[in-house]
Amino acid sequence: MLKYIIKRVLWMIPLLVGISLVSFLIMHLAPGDITSNESAFNPKASEESRQKLREMYNLDKPVIVQYGLWLKRMATLDFGKSFASHQKPVFWQTTDKDGNVTKGLIQEALPITLMINLLGLAITLLLAIPLGIIAARKYLGWQDRAITLFNFIGFSIPGFWLSLLLMYWLGVVNNWFPISGLHSLNYDSMDNWSKVKDSLSHLFLPVIIPSITGLAGITLFVKNGMLDVLHQDYITTARAKGLNEHKVIYTHALRNALLPLITIIGLSIPGLIGGSVIAETIFAIPGMGKLFYDAVLMRDFPVVMGILTIGSALTLLGNLLADLMYAWADPRVRRGVVKG
Amino acid sequence: MNWPLFKKALSNPLALAGFIIILLIFVLAMLAPVIAPYDPNEINVKAILLGPSMQHWMGTDGLGRDVLSRMLHGGRISLLVGLVAVGISTLIGILLGAVAGFYRGWVDVFIMRLVDVMLSIPSFFLILAVIAFLTPSIINIMIVIGLTSWMGVTRLVRAEFLSLREREYVMASRTLGARDYRLIFKHLLPNSLTPIIVSAVLGVAGAVLMESGLSFLGLGVQAPQASWGNILTDGKEYIQFAWWLSLFPGLAILITVLGYNLLGEGLRDALDPRSGHLK
Amino acid sequence: MTNAFSSFTQTASIVLVTLIISACGSSHHPAATDLDLSKPYPSEAGGTLISAMTAEPSGLISMIAGESASSAISSNIFNSLLKYDKNLELEGDLVKSWEISSDQKTITFRLKPCMKWADGKPLTSADALFTWQAVTDDKTASPYASDFQLVKKAETPDPLTFTVTYAQAYAPALDSWAGLQILPKHLLQGQDLHTTSFARNPVGSHYYKLDRWTHGENLKLSRNPNSVLGQAKIDQLITRIIPDNSAQFLELMADNIDYMGLDPIKYSRIIPSRPALQQKLALYKELGNSYTYMGFNLKHKPFDDVRVRRAINYAIDKQEIIDGVYLGLGINIASPYKPGTRWSNPALTPYPYDPAKARQLLKEAGFSDTDGDGILERDGKPFAFEIITNQNKEREKSAVLIQRRLKDIGIDVKIRAIEWASFISRFIKTGDFDVVVLGWGLGLDPDQFNIWHSSQQAPGQFNFIGYHNPTVDQLLEQGRLELNPDKRMKIYHEFARVLLEDSPIVYLSAGYGLTAIHKRVKGIDDPAPPAGIGHNSQDWYIPQPLRRNEISQ
Repeated sequence: MLKYIIKRVLWMIPLLVGISLVSFLIMHLAPGDITSNESAFNPKASEESRQKLREMYNLDKPVIVQYGLWLKRMATLDFGKSFASHQKPVFWQTTDKDGNVTKGLIQEALPITLMINLLGLAITLLLAIPLGIIAARKYLGWQDRAITLFNFIGFSIPGFWLSLLLMYWLGVVNNWFPISGLHSLNYDSMDNWSKVKDSLSHLFLPVIIPSITGLAGITLFVKNGMLDVLHQDYITTARAKGLNEHKVIYTHALRNALLPLITIIGLSIPGLIGGSVIAETIFAIPGMGKLFYDAVLMRDFPVVMGILTIGSALTLLGNLLADLMYAWADPRVRRGVVKG
Repeated sequence: MNWPLFKKALSNPLALAGFIIILLIFVLAMLAPVIAPYDPNEINVKAILLGPSMQHWMGTDGLGRDVLSRMLHGGRISLLVGLVAVGISTLIGILLGAVAGFYRGWVDVFIMRLVDVMLSIPSFFLILAVIAFLTPSIINIMIVIGLTSWMGVTRLVRAEFLSLREREYVMASRTLGARDYRLIFKHLLPNSLTPIIVSAVLGVAGAVLMESGLSFLGLGVQAPQASWGNILTDGKEYIQFAWWLSLFPGLAILITVLGYNLLGEGLRDALDPRSGHLK
Repeated sequence: MTNAFSSFTQTASIVLVTLIISACGSSHHPAATDLDLSKPYPSEAGGTLISAMTAEPSGLISMIAGESASSAISSNIFNSLLKYDKNLELEGDLVKSWEISSDQKTITFRLKPCMKWADGKPLTSADALFTWQAVTDDKTASPYASDFQLVKKAETPDPLTFTVTYAQAYAPALDSWAGLQILPKHLLQGQDLHTTSFARNPVGSHYYKLDRWTHGENLKLSRNPNSVLGQAKIDQLITRIIPDNSAQFLELMADNIDYMGLDPIKYSRIIPSRPALQQKLALYKELGNSYTYMGFNLKHKPFDDVRVRRAINYAIDKQEIIDGVYLGLGINIASPYKPGTRWSNPALTPYPYDPAKARQLLKEAGFSDTDGDGILERDGKPFAFEIITNQNKEREKSAVLIQRRLKDIGIDVKIRAIEWASFISRFIKTGDFDVVVLGWGLGLDPDQFNIWHSSQQAPGQFNFIGYHNPTVDQLLEQGRLELNPDKRMKIYHEFARVLLEDSPIVYLSAGYGLTAIHKRVKGIDDPAPPAGIGHNSQDWYIPQPLRRNEISQ
């Protein structure tokens, strides 16, 4: 087992280097760089100064040299500084000689995105599991059809449309929820309980809407998993033994039906750090999606590379984790792996 | 193509509804040039942002163009993008999946690693990054969505091939010396077709939604060409005022995507050996 | 339903409902309807003004940060030596007077006495000298260095005097000093401007200082007690980062922001049609600061033929563009200057909409429809080209209208909107385009050397359309040397006249600046003077009864 894990982890390194090289090359295929921004069209701004900026950021060197420089920095886990946000560190904060701390871009954006995605995942699971069970137990009945229809409608709505409609109805017509942003303006002066309430109310819409979209997939999964399991022999045996129905469902069926769900969760780990740029733009949330999108448009190479690298690393880790969790949870596989 | 399967799928009322929706939208889109009351690009600065009326059933947009006509023509574009993008991704997926599943060995390992790499970058990021670099045109959008959505099909086809090739008739054919491509095209592929179709149908739904998302970011189908995504985006600032600019394309996208999803899932349900549960 | 399941759903529902209830009801504003917004209130200090911007500044040192978001904030924090008054005439900001030597090459600025930075340290000519050195320093690589590099010598004979000497008379000099924000030497000496934490934590001398910058969410400015120009009325300026315009408008409607720039549709259709909005929002209109134009690549045939350019100018209906794109809220201009200002030549009239004349000119240039397909040809080649523009809704709409009008006279036009960075580097810099629809600023100084002089055609420079007219070259050079405003005016009037005749670009429109401001903000000049409504923002006030009460100090 340990050998397997070590082999997988070691494999990750060449894979990551490969991914980063490809990403770097693709990015440099794009025309333009950080100097092609707003000041590029201000007649008061001169081309020489842009050229000097390019030299400062090493953008005039050949692509392979630039990649080499980046890789060298990455070896010490130095993700570099952003071109566009006045040299804010890409990943983690730095402290200068006067003790001023500048927070890193990913350091600020990642927790926000993670929180939204985890909350969303929790809500999705909270709703999907019971709905899936009902749909499985009442398979082909009207409950099943209704749940399927409801899920699919949620799945098929363009997200930003729904967001704007709800923002208008819940935020303007009825003053129930804030419209955009993460915190109220007087957040800092609130007591802890008010702070929690404030954050939750700002996060309500941005979390609910993607949950509705994600609900369909997971509900279906749970339903199919349950259907699968409910007709297995051991369930029929349990029923024949006279075990009461809810023990059958919850103790035996559900546990086994949920096993594949673990894989799904593992596979959605890379998605957890990827914020939806559309939702973040609409709701004014400074998360990873918007960070990446803005960096791409502004050709802020260090940020783009930083996010892609972390994303790839997390995906590979997530896959490994999912495989391991599945192996551990399923005694059949566990035995096989230990033996083999 | 398994006709009894298709019939069984349609016995599910939701899947039937999905099928009817798809057919309807398809017909309307095809007939667009004939039934559209106005030229979708005809500007009328005296008729800016008028609500639905007898002259303009769905109102007019910011340049006085008839929304109904733009919706009909835009439907063609949105559907075209969806179908071609899915076509591309399916073709790539079949190619790679077949090769991986049939030949196994290092080819298989290489392709599956490639799939892992592609999956490790959230696809929206990828599409965004590539489209931001290429000038957004309908062709580029189709290619890019296609190039970033083939991974699921590849895995599917590979899995099918892996299981099918162990079947007796396949092994028998091989012993008899049948050529590879004959095996692939005459035996393995036709039997893998159904899950591929399911995946394709669901893929169209995803591509249509993707196009509207890209339009929101300004990277979708470009002016003056109408698409549901860009009509919806143009109207988003006036949702409370010019509600017709948001309602109609929003509903159209919703219903179309819903239709494809319902049919796709219906097919998948029917395909499932678990349909023995009916008893 | 089994017991476990129902208890499970019960728990789940309780959790959800608790979340929802606790989240609800946390916004509390006084209902706008029970306040009388139209009563006249006396001016008083205090209150908070909340505005929004779509993108965050990259930093607050304006000589490095190139984008408008940065200067929008830093202009509240820093002063320049000079500034423009309400009638767009130059007056002193940090200086109380200035003199120009008789040879027109030296400017002597006399600073106001007893000025302090926000941290209490004195503001003297040493800071002005330091700022000039910083902006011209190679290591700073400021995009705006070129004007200041023309200064051969800069001196500070005493703490209240700053003199600059140019190699030759440079008329745009004063305008350049109105745009350079003076930085504190005592805090920035020896620092690398590109990495200093000052950019996120600036210390300035103007009405406001930066209290707090919550990255990605908002910037909070509060009154600077040491402000060199006295105290502004409003206590706090908060700018929220809201990237989406629809979300911004929703926030305006919900009374969460006070101030928003509007597009013509919101200004003339949406707000006037909603009594609730009309009741609380006041709408303001002022001369805009930019104009939209269609530019020909003069190196591509047939745009090198002035008849063709004039024909296209006659073929485009500018009023239709103003009506269609700006809902009538724009001006048809004939010169690249703000109408009504001294530099704008009142004798010039824009090309009228005259398709017959357009057809005639094209015929003279050798175009005719030989194969009857509706498109003109010359030497067998059809007259077709592509308009490219960046992803700006107004420019795209203008392009669509142009396309239609040109089709009427037999020209086939395609349109492409391209993402900005690609647009600049792949098409503009390389000169690989036919026609562009873009905009220029309506500058306050009439100098347009960088845009029209034939020496400015290298990649990355601004004469990317390739204009070369010796008469114009000479006028532009003269304009830079002439410091007398009346003589200068004549030079630029002539320049605009030649430009109009030559028609290297087609002026499409100069849109108005449209703003909605909540009626709680008083003291705004309406109608707006030439400098716009923002010229006296320090005198705007929010009467006590109309303030929001939950924003604490």
